[in-house]
Amino acid sequence: MPADPATPPLIEKRLEPGERVVAKFQTDLDLHLQFQKGLLVLTTRRLLFLEENKGGAAPFRDWKLAEIKELSLEEMGATGALHLMAAQQPNCCHWRFTAGLIKEADTFVARFMDQQRTLVGGTPADTTGTPDDGPDDEGLDFTDLMPEAARGNPLLRLLMFSRPWLRLIGLGLLLTVAATSASLLSPWITGLLVDRLLIPLQTKGQDLHIQQLLPYAAMLLATAIVAWVLKWGRSFVVARIAELVTSRLRRELFEHLQRLSLIYFNKKRTGDLISRISSDTDRLSLFISLTFIDFVCDVFQFLFTAFLLFKINPLLAFAALGPVPIVAWLVKCVRGHLRSGFAASSRAWGLMTSVLSDTIPGVRVVKAFAQEEREIARFRQTDHHVFATNDRVNRTWSFFSPMIEMFTDLGLLIIWVVGALTVAQGTLTVGVLWVFVTYTTRFYGRLEAMSRFFASAQRAAASAHRVFEVLDVEPEMAATDGTRRIGRLSGRIEFRDIKFRHGSRQIIRGINLDIAPGEMIGLVGPSGAGKTTLVNLACRFFDVSEGAILVDGQDLRDIHVEDYRKNIGLVLQEPYLFFGTIADNISYGKPGATRAEIIASAKAARAHEFIMKLVDGYDSMVGERGQQLSGGERQRISIARALLIDPAILILDEATSSVDTETEREIQRALDNLVHGRTTIAIAHRLGTLRLANRLVVLEDGRISEIGSHEQLLKTSGTYARLHQAMQDVSHA
Amino acid sequence: MKTPTAHVDLQRTEAGNLVFTDAAGVVHDKVLVVRLFPLTDPAHWIALTSAAGHDLVCIEDPAALPEDVRMLLAEALAQRDFVPLIQAIHTIRRAAHGYEWYVTTNRGKTHFTVENDESIQPLAGGSIVVMDQRNTRYLITDPAALDPKSRQKLERYY
Ligand SMILES: Nc1ncnc2c1ncn2[C@@H]1O[C@H](COP(=O)(O)OP(=O)(O)O)[C@@H](O)[C@H]1O
Ligand SMILES: [Mg+2]
Repeated sequence: MPADPATPPLIEKRLEPGERVVAKFQTDLDLHLQFQKGLLVLTTRRLLFLEENKGGAAPFRDWKLAEIKELSLEEMGATGALHLMAAQQPNCCHWRFTAGLIKEADTFVARFMDQQRTLVGGTPADTTGTPDDGPDDEGLDFTDLMPEAARGNPLLRLLMFSRPWLRLIGLGLLLTVAATSASLLSPWITGLLVDRLLIPLQTKGQDLHIQQLLPYAAMLLATAIVAWVLKWGRSFVVARIAELVTSRLRRELFEHLQRLSLIYFNKKRTGDLISRISSDTDRLSLFISLTFIDFVCDVFQFLFTAFLLFKINPLLAFAALGPVPIVAWLVKCVRGHLRSGFAASSRAWGLMTSVLSDTIPGVRVVKAFAQEEREIARFRQTDHHVFATNDRVNRTWSFFSPMIEMFTDLGLLIIWVVGALTVAQGTLTVGVLWVFVTYTTRFYGRLEAMSRFFASAQRAAASAHRVFEVLDVEPEMAATDGTRRIGRLSGRIEFRDIKFRHGSRQIIRGINLDIAPGEMIGLVGPSGAGKTTLVNLACRFFDVSEGAILVDGQDLRDIHVEDYRKNIGLVLQEPYLFFGTIADNISYGKPGATRAEIIASAKAARAHEFIMKLVDGYDSMVGERGQQLSGGERQRISIARALLIDPAILILDEATSSVDTETEREIQRALDNLVHGRTTIAIAHRLGTLRLANRLVVLEDGRISEIGSHEQLLKTSGTYARLHQAMQDVSHA
Repeated sequence: MKTPTAHVDLQRTEAGNLVFTDAAGVVHDKVLVVRLFPLTDPAHWIALTSAAGHDLVCIEDPAALPEDVRMLLAEALAQRDFVPLIQAIHTIRRAAHGYEWYVTTNRGKTHFTVENDESIQPLAGGSIVVMDQRNTRYLITDPAALDPKSRQKLERYY
């Protein structure tokens, strides 16, 4: 790392007495678009620029604020630029940065303008606000910060997750230990049998009395039965724990997903999310119920046998366990490798599910374009990817058990050799040697199982990571999430100079609009102008980047989201119906609605008649996404759905754009019922739809270009007049 | 459809703006140059658009253009275009939100955060595009040509 030129003391050093830092902006490119860090600092008097030095002295420049004519931001696709024009040398300066920093740059320019205005206004500059020590602070540091460590080992977190069932887990462990001890007793008893009974029998030629044998047989039987009962209890308890934990995981995952904002879902693939909720949690369940408990059991047996071995004969134990460190070392070597291998395999699985959830709902398009072969090929490719990733890990870990078997044989070989010698010396009985061999075999068996555990643990860790990754996503709105509870709104909406970006692209560029309660606003404009984005902001699916939206005089961000949404009726261009009956779908927003209410809103939505014609009436199943209905019918059901909750604010986003004129007329009538007495924002391409609107707002490129009534706008002969003319031309052609 | 690319009337003003005169003789100031396939075919299909974003002309193969126009296009693209090519991957490690990549690109060393598995996507022609948390795109033109260590790291995460 080069010495860092711009640590806070270095900026401080450049400051004149009484000068304060107001804002900072870190650039990440040089003028040739090479990665290079630099720091722009706005102070109460000057603009400073420091560049990260690669060896030599840190380049440094400064301008007096009064000398700067202009500081402007330019968006240039994947990058952005700041241009500076000044009266002092150098007159002209540019900075470049990746587009991800445009938002920060924008803020910086705004701070700059504020500061310059303050200077011109003659107010002592030092009285302006507090220095911006916000998120820019980290921008001071040129060194690569260590990325914030992922939140702990995923398997430990899984354990934390199981906390509510600690007692049950304790019981499971207790049963495990007891069952294991019981099964460990039998070799011991067999050893006694050999030494006390069989050897004397053979060497002294005595007769065998059944009474002598009986106690041993009875003891063996007793341990077998006790072990059986204990193991049965253990398996059941453990399986139950596994199900409880994974069921909680699935539930929390789904609940968490429901709270995440639309922005998250825009980024994620459905199939991947489904695979995290279904297959990753299932892997964890298997891990807990089988692998983990087995492991505890193994560790216990492992330690216990080791203890017994050393107790019986330390020398022999030493010889038998000689290969253990080698195994431990091998396990350590492959661990990381296995983990990333399993992670890759989980990802490949998610990818495959994504292809499925992409293709199956789109099957009509696939068939229409006769692209079955192409989809088969696509699936085959992702499936092969799954195969290849699994194959890669299997190669590593399948090598494992045979290797441990070899070490077992080696250990036994050592025992037979050393044991035979000691028996010959007379310091060891044959029975004890027998016990020894049995325990050593078990010992290595456990060792093998444990090494297998490391593989499974890595697989589970990869799955747990994928699960916790979702749980760790902060609901985007949580930070400012409103707590103010509200009832029914009167419906005044004010947009106050709002701006919004999708990533680095500015979509809404400053909109001011007051909508009175009960007023209907018709929103028109070319496609891509930002109409849908604007109503999404009004619904608070996203939060504005700048400015504020006020409803009934309160900032949207202060209001409880669910309370607010209960005031909104939303009808989209493509209505989404859920699997279920028509009645279920209509009452979606108000599950307790009475049948009378459902019928009333269906009538108002002009849906009643076609519903009556269906064999099952309101109980007709609509199929997945309402596929068994026509587009216009679906639309009317979604209007009925919006109508049923009697919203204070109604939002129609091209609600009639995708249906035929006859249906549109029907829907139009339905809407006339709906619009009455509510604040309405209606987006439409067919301007006729907006004849009831009090005002028409023309949106172009994220800005309002015209506002007025139909007649007023026609007179100004602007965009609206042009759109209107175009509509006329089409209908007369 | 071949565009007649022989006469693209493009000039640079003293202020540094590009000025384009179309077939009808209309002069457009401050035109922008954009690549239509910046990831899969950066050398072809280059479009000129007006400052407002309207399409002016579409050039399939700039190589067919006169030297001076080609230079102007290349310079304009060099100013706008930004798709670093990943040449070596040093470390990929788990971070709080996704994975942190430390790489060397044709534009120098850098590091960035990749949030989703979906952010790494194969493109037609075998290259791979990696999109970071802030939407910058990085390209690996030929994964097989990376050095073995980088390739191994990539394989683990993709
Ligand atoms: N999730 C998104 N990410 C990035 N850009 C988006 C996203 N959604 C919409 N946009 C862009 O925002 C602009 C406005 O979109 P929208 O509000 O849907 O326009 P319309 O006026 O047609 O409803 C469009 O240029 C679109 O490409
Ligand atoms: Mg829209």
